[in-house]
Amino acid sequence: MAISDISGCIGCETCVKVCPTDVIRMNRKSNKAEIKYVEDCQICHLCRLYCPVDAITITSEKSIPVIVSWG
Amino acid sequence: MNLNLKSLYMVLLLIFFVFLPMVFFIFTQIPQRSILKDTISIITILAFFVVLLQFFLSNLNIGLKSIFQSSKIIKIHKILGYTAIPILLFHPFLIVVPRFFEVGPRPLDSFIKMITTFDSLAIILGIIGWCLILLLGLTSILKDKLKMSYKAWKIFHGSLALVFIIFASWHSIETGKHMNLSMSILVILISLAASILLFKSYFTTNKNKG
Repeated sequence: MAISDISGCIGCETCVKVCPTDVIRMNRKSNKAEIKYVEDCQICHLCRLYCPVDAITITSEKSIPVIVSWG
Repeated sequence: MNLNLKSLYMVLLLIFFVFLPMVFFIFTQIPQRSILKDTISIITILAFFVVLLQFFLSNLNIGLKSIFQSSKIIKIHKILGYTAIPILLFHPFLIVVPRFFEVGPRPLDSFIKMITTFDSLAIILGIIGWCLILLLGLTSILKDKLKMSYKAWKIFHGSLALVFIIFASWHSIETGKHMNLSMSILVILISLAASILLFKSYFTTNKNKG
């Protein structure tokens, strides 16, 4: 797990814009953000920090290694 | 016997308006967030349920009037109302309070972003609900200056509270924060019971007067 839950989304799309790896996408039907590609989450916490209503929960565990720079 | 009834009534109210909401809150809170965020959520949820409870802790509730003194019911109703309403009025501001202790956007920026996201039905409902509870609080404070008859006040105050409850319940369910299926069902059932109690009270009063 990385980004684990979006609860209480108001559909402002801030998290979609700030996510560097496009983990979050807008569900146009419900007009709320949803976790689409959880395996790409790098646990950077940007979505959680920028969410105005604190709707995003992130766990520290990750099932795949975090991508780090060479060297 | 009266003491037993009083205790039973108090236990029932505590179960439906404190215990169950807290149990459902805990079930939606895995993994847990910070203590500050959880405290703000608990205070807000309890304030909302206190407003729901107000329908049952009022003179509308004929069953309650047979157990407790009317003056005592009004006193408790006022204390709870004047405690819960400010919390709900400050609820939008409370959401951004943790921003003061975190890196990222400023609390004011988050607040403006939140209240200006008009694409969201939850926000529209929340703004309407906020205006309604402001009106409910102000009219309660200025009750004597409004110079309404008791009957007119009862209808006005009850109807306003009911409209608020409809918008507030809809807002909380639409937002989905801390709202699992059990919590949503509890809110809907209590709101329905409150509506029935209010309409029954109006109908009974009119019938007796007529």
